[in-house]
Amino acid sequence: MSYEWLTLAGYWNDFVRAAWLTLQITLLAFILAMLLGLLAALASAARVGLLRAIASVYIEAIRNTPVLLQIFIVFFGLPSLGVTLNAYTAGVIALGVNVGAYLAEVFRAGIQSVPRGQLEAASILGLGRAQIFVEVILPQAARAVYPAIVNNLIQLLLGTSLLSAIALPELSGTATVINARTLLYLQTFTITLVAYLVLSSVLSWIAGQIGTRVFHPPLVMTKRSRRPFFMARQSDRT
Amino acid sequence: MSSELLTTSLAILIQGLVATLLLSAASIIGGTLIGLLAAVLRSFGPWGTPRIARLYTELFRGTPVLITLMFIYFGVSYFGYAIDVFAAGVVGLSVYQGAYIAEIFRSGIEAVPKGQWEVSQILGLSKTQAFFSVALPQTGKIVMPPLIGQYLSLIKDTSIVSMIGMSELMHAGQAIVDRVGKPVEIYGLVAVLYFVVCFPLSQWVRHHDRRRSLLS
Repeated sequence: MSYEWLTLAGYWNDFVRAAWLTLQITLLAFILAMLLGLLAALASAARVGLLRAIASVYIEAIRNTPVLLQIFIVFFGLPSLGVTLNAYTAGVIALGVNVGAYLAEVFRAGIQSVPRGQLEAASILGLGRAQIFVEVILPQAARAVYPAIVNNLIQLLLGTSLLSAIALPELSGTATVINARTLLYLQTFTITLVAYLVLSSVLSWIAGQIGTRVFHPPLVMTKRSRRPFFMARQSDRT
Repeated sequence: MSSELLTTSLAILIQGLVATLLLSAASIIGGTLIGLLAAVLRSFGPWGTPRIARLYTELFRGTPVLITLMFIYFGVSYFGYAIDVFAAGVVGLSVYQGAYIAEIFRSGIEAVPKGQWEVSQILGLSKTQAFFSVALPQTGKIVMPPLIGQYLSLIKDTSIVSMIGMSELMHAGQAIVDRVGKPVEIYGLVAVLYFVVCFPLSQWVRHHDRRRSLLS
């Protein structure tokens, strides 16, 4: 091992701490995103027009502007409105709100993927609106949206790198600091790249394991099943 | 916000928007070419190229674009060359988005029924001819909606190039906020400009691809 790598071995603790912070923020923001996504998806199917309008403004505003801008608005913009957040909270909120809008669309698509006939059948059988949603739509929609949710989780993980712009010492932020201190560009960013690669593969592997255990029949989450939805259909045909 | 501040900042932001659009256009071209090449190599490449193409897509789909940009921007100077931020941005975004675009093209290529390849071969077309004149034209309908969706996220990703110091729309907004404050108003204005560019594209994607790409 050359001396450059040995120098960086001295920063081992910083990298580990940064990776842990990255993972923490990813999971917290993901929980927030799931809640917001579910709420927005329900709101966009609501009978009250105002709720639908709020949901669609939220979804469109978020999906059509960059995450980095949203992070800046939360971190630098909110204080002038009297809400001051630290970088950690601001990061979790900004990323959660961002991914929530994407998940809302996914959930909406999932709900729509359940054939209409089933809703009619369920209501003829005397099930109430809430019951139909929980017992008929949700189990089927969950299966349909699961791979897309995992994709969004991975995108969220990669998105945490942008929090280095608000000086949060997660992986990218730490890499920038170590880079500035040691000037070992190649080594620092290689380690960072590998760290992200490990985190994202571990997360998608765990998600795959959960997919095969929770769903019946097991949802096989190999790379193949994470291909675009329409692809799976096409290859089934041949 | 005073109208004077509004007009002066709007002028600066429009300049930034032009840079964003140029960066986006160049990266869209680069990313599409790289993506197409990677997809073709992955499906038809000789020797070890399918494996390399696969490694390429999986590497970039599992790492943040910011790291790619920093790798290129700082990495090039490591070897003793200078690279300007626009070039670093175009290369970084093209290479990064190319990995996502490759997957989109690959799904399009794989959607072409096997029989058509056999027929093309029997008709005496070479593999290249079969690809460009038989397979590619048909994949358009399948590939276009997710491809435009990917371009959309590329355009939003150009904001990240501001983090290596390129003065595009995001950077212009930051510069104004640093000078005069008023983050809510200025970033709001920046958001509106991004929205104006992105909204038509996302509506197009939604119209043509109601649920397929969302569940991908």
